[in-house]
Amino acid sequence: MEPLTTEMILVMIMIGVAIFLFIAEWVRVDVVAILMMVALPLLHLVTAKEAFVGFSSNAVISIIAVIIIGAGLDKTGLINRLVRPVLRIAGRSESRVVIAISLTVAVISSFMQNIGAAALFLPAIQRVSKMLKIPLSKLLMPIGFSAILGGTITLVGCSPLILLNDLLEPFHLKPFHLFDVTPIGLALVASGIACFILFGRFILPKGTMESEGEGITSGLRNALEQLGAPFELHTPSDFTHYREPVLVQDLKRRYLVNVVGIIEPPDFKLLSPTPEAEVRSDIDLLVYGREKDVQRMAEQEGMELKEELGVFKDDVSDTTSGTVEAVVAPRSTVAGKTLSQLNLQDRFRVTPLAIYRHGETYRAAIGDLVLNVGDAILIQGAWRRLKVLQEERSLLFTTPIDVELMRPEKALWAGLWLAVALSMIMIFKIQLSVSLMTGALGMIITRVLSIDEAYRAVDWRTIFLLAGLIPLGIATEKTGAAAWIAHTVLNAIGTVQPIVLLTVIGILSTIFTLVISNVGATVLLVPLVVNMAIAAHADPRMAALVVGLATSNSFMLPTHQVNALYMGPGRYRSVDFMKAGLVISVVFIVVMIGMIYLLYGI
Amino acid sequence: MAIITISRGSYSKGKEVAEKVAERLGYECVSRDVLLDASDRFHIPEVKLIRAIHDAPSVLERFQHGKQVFIAYIRSALTCRVAKDNLVYHGLAGHLLLKGVPHVLKVRIMADMTSRITAEMEREGISEQEARTLLQRDDEERRRWTRSLYGVDPWDSSLYDLVIHISKLTVSDAVDFISEAALKEQFQTTESHRRKMEDLALACQVKAALVDPFFDVGVTSDYGNVLIYAKSGDRHVNKIKKRAKELEKEIEGINNLEVHAGVPVPEDAL
Repeated sequence: MEPLTTEMILVMIMIGVAIFLFIAEWVRVDVVAILMMVALPLLHLVTAKEAFVGFSSNAVISIIAVIIIGAGLDKTGLINRLVRPVLRIAGRSESRVVIAISLTVAVISSFMQNIGAAALFLPAIQRVSKMLKIPLSKLLMPIGFSAILGGTITLVGCSPLILLNDLLEPFHLKPFHLFDVTPIGLALVASGIACFILFGRFILPKGTMESEGEGITSGLRNALEQLGAPFELHTPSDFTHYREPVLVQDLKRRYLVNVVGIIEPPDFKLLSPTPEAEVRSDIDLLVYGREKDVQRMAEQEGMELKEELGVFKDDVSDTTSGTVEAVVAPRSTVAGKTLSQLNLQDRFRVTPLAIYRHGETYRAAIGDLVLNVGDAILIQGAWRRLKVLQEERSLLFTTPIDVELMRPEKALWAGLWLAVALSMIMIFKIQLSVSLMTGALGMIITRVLSIDEAYRAVDWRTIFLLAGLIPLGIATEKTGAAAWIAHTVLNAIGTVQPIVLLTVIGILSTIFTLVISNVGATVLLVPLVVNMAIAAHADPRMAALVVGLATSNSFMLPTHQVNALYMGPGRYRSVDFMKAGLVISVVFIVVMIGMIYLLYGI
Repeated sequence: MAIITISRGSYSKGKEVAEKVAERLGYECVSRDVLLDASDRFHIPEVKLIRAIHDAPSVLERFQHGKQVFIAYIRSALTCRVAKDNLVYHGLAGHLLLKGVPHVLKVRIMADMTSRITAEMEREGISEQEARTLLQRDDEERRRWTRSLYGVDPWDSSLYDLVIHISKLTVSDAVDFISEAALKEQFQTTESHRRKMEDLALACQVKAALVDPFFDVGVTSDYGNVLIYAKSGDRHVNKIKKRAKELEKEIEGINNLEVHAGVPVPEDAL
């Protein structure tokens, strides 16, 4: 065994510093990673080239590409469509949503890189969180962990297991089959999800929805709720008989109900009709108002209030339309005019719903109120139309609207490019990064999303965190620190029962995988533990299997790619990973050793 | 199915006509009862209200904004009664108090001076000269009253649908005419008329509740959506808003109530 060198000690100190900074949070985790990237070459522990090799690594490029692909799928509403059936099964219960998505992600992750599965599902999970009002932090960690655990279901689920048979070859040991690990993997996934369902309350951070609302203040949300919801009504065939014509403005005046969509016979759909538009017989109309008011209108005007939206269903979905708050800006040409004069319905095809002034919401006769600087107008309309109004710059929008510009018409292209990328990986066995980048490029060329949107979609915190930790792993291996630690630990325990030996190997692999890459840990540890096991009269194949599996036991630090990816959006802190990760890691080792004991009877 | 207002001078047989019309059509006949309603509801001695209605506005001016306050009270009481429909109201200014109700049959009953003097002499047991002076003064005061409140002359025949001079035409002739006219289609209560009356009654109630001390607010109601128009001025408006919040609970039939400040008051506002 090599003697302990200064380089090894320096590397161990650097690991200690990194872990300390992760916990202490004096700087953000990605900054810690950058610090490592800079400090290691300065200490001559890695070369300058090695320090930044992370940025060109297969994993980092794959993540960038897969994030872009995910954004493209989300922008076309494809993710929404995929999420819907899952939600239908899961209902509104948080636990069931977590179980449903976690299982789906785990299964997908068992056949592809788990970071890929995790990245593809990120937009979907964000949507679910928004739709069901479940804090993102309650969803991301269980699902992310499931993606990692799902990698242990088959032998191609994660890189360490893919490598395993190659590493066993020199020892002339029997290779593992594709599904040999499946029972263990399934047990791991099940126990992981069960942990979150049973103890999620204690081990997950208490997230709030407010911190995740995209620029929408709770006050505005309240105001929107006060204004009511969309309803669809149908007028009877004798609606216009023997009576004065009913105009859109009449309904507003009488019932404070805003008509935002109306069918012009025979079937022309008119959104944000002008106040003078007439409500005709036997047509559908979409209104925005309080339920009480809408019911009163339906009753008194003899309209039929539909149970749920039908004709206008697509026009009120969050992806195509919404309500924004626009403030009359200083020096705006709008100040001093009334909404009737502005005629937003006719000019922009958007409908003002209410005016908010001095802490008071005005809903009635808002057309006649003279607008003052600082008045907030709540305006409903299609995002496209609102965008046009925003660009006119007479009103300041307090709600960002560009985030929601969807391109449902590009869904086919998005799906096609995903299929291309996946078939390149699965059928043609082309390298992951190249395949995924092809898919991402395809989406940009077919204008599923613009190149700027693609850049914006990438979370640079994740990229720097991942790229920055790679040189740390390189240094650990290059200086021989890892090998030294492994040797020292394994020599120290001496000859023990096979089950104890396997447990120690499991713990060692877990610690290694937190700092150096899982592939690095596997390559380093497998030859070592096989020799150890032979010496201790334990099954060397099992020892190797423990390494292959336990290198996926990376939950306690945000160093695993999936954890790094979900850390930003979930607003997790390192402490959150430690708390939940410790529980899951312990359960992981117990379940893994237990399953190996049961299946192979060591 | 109509509302008839009969405006009259004293001793002009207007009351007799009104009662007979009500009897013929099976309507309710209302006059002083409205004042009773108002005095009950707003806790003002009835005497004060009668003087407010009868005497020259100078009496009202003794109170601060008494004019607007009393009118609002009476109007509120009257419109609540009118909202029930089928009604003959006789007394001063009914047609003016019900401004905005489209299907009111407005009638003015006159009698010639000689017969009025005779009637008064008989009733009060006074000399012809005294009776004449009293009647003239009475007429003059009512004239001033309407002028000062509404800016119109009660003797202006263009304010009425029907002006009947009881002399050659008898009381029963007048009853015939009025009853016949009341059955015409344009005076029938339609759904939208009923709605308008309800809104007017609601607006009147709100106005009556606010008028002391906010005498200068304008009130409209549209399908139960009440708008209160106030002059701008933060403190003033905030007080009105506070009171309005309470009213929303107190008065039945309000669907939504908002206070709009610094907006031109629409013409049809009370």
